[in-house]
Amino acid sequence: MMDDKNFNDIDINVHDYDIVLKIKDENDIAVSRQMAKSFAQKNNFSLADVTKIATAISELSRNIYRYAKEGYIYIKKKETEPGKDISIEIIAYDRGPGIENVERAVAGGYTTSQRSLGLGLSGIRRLMDSFYIKSEVGKGTVVVVEKRRRRF
Amino acid sequence: MKTKVVPTIKLYDYLIVPIQIELDDSTIEKLQMQLLNEISERKIRGIIIDVSMVDVIDSYISFVLSETAAMAKAMGCYTVICKIQPQVALTLAQMGIKLKDVFTANSLEGAIDILNQLD
Repeated sequence: MMDDKNFNDIDINVHDYDIVLKIKDENDIAVSRQMAKSFAQKNNFSLADVTKIATAISELSRNIYRYAKEGYIYIKKKETEPGKDISIEIIAYDRGPGIENVERAVAGGYTTSQRSLGLGLSGIRRLMDSFYIKSEVGKGTVVVVEKRRRRF
Repeated sequence: MKTKVVPTIKLYDYLIVPIQIELDDSTIEKLQMQLLNEISERKIRGIIIDVSMVDVIDSYISFVLSETAAMAKAMGCYTVICKIQPQVALTLAQMGIKLKDVFTANSLEGAIDILNQLD
């Protein structure tokens, strides 16, 4: 499973990423959260942004575990244009059942799970600086988010 | 009583629950069961959950905390969540997550005051 993955227009080359994590059981949600937290801390993100990143990853990993059973989280540090600060990019990728109505899922307040607030995807979008989702029924889901570092 | 995921302290009719462990999904679910058992077995009328050591509260943890409070309420017990970290509060607010059925306090004393007023 370590080869490059294609999901429509998204190409993921695993060698570009600082962290590649397979999500396959419940415990991996907490593991991904901890790894994201220490990665963001190591890259000098503010405490507020470390918390937002860790929370977003927690949501992404749970979505993978809950709906797709297994999938991957990719994390990397991105150097943007010179003079600008770095950012962290996170990709959540799975070949699960996909989301029937992506717009409704991202709008928030909607869930197909009984034990959920339905605020995961909408929350991630609000916490991050950029948010991209592609999902196809029967194929899977990929979510790409990015958080820029802010200095105070 | 089965093993507890979080050691608790009984004070009057109140139960103080200082969470000092990583809250993964199965831990928070076990904690919910533990608290409901303690409410019933130890005749608890108020629960104070201290989350000052918890650095991530996501939508599912929020959901289970609110659900636990609703269950506790059905058993005649109020729930106060105490000392949410500023960056956790910021994250919850930004995600649009509201903790339902719980009271909140920024200190243990404040939490006890709230419970005393409810009695």
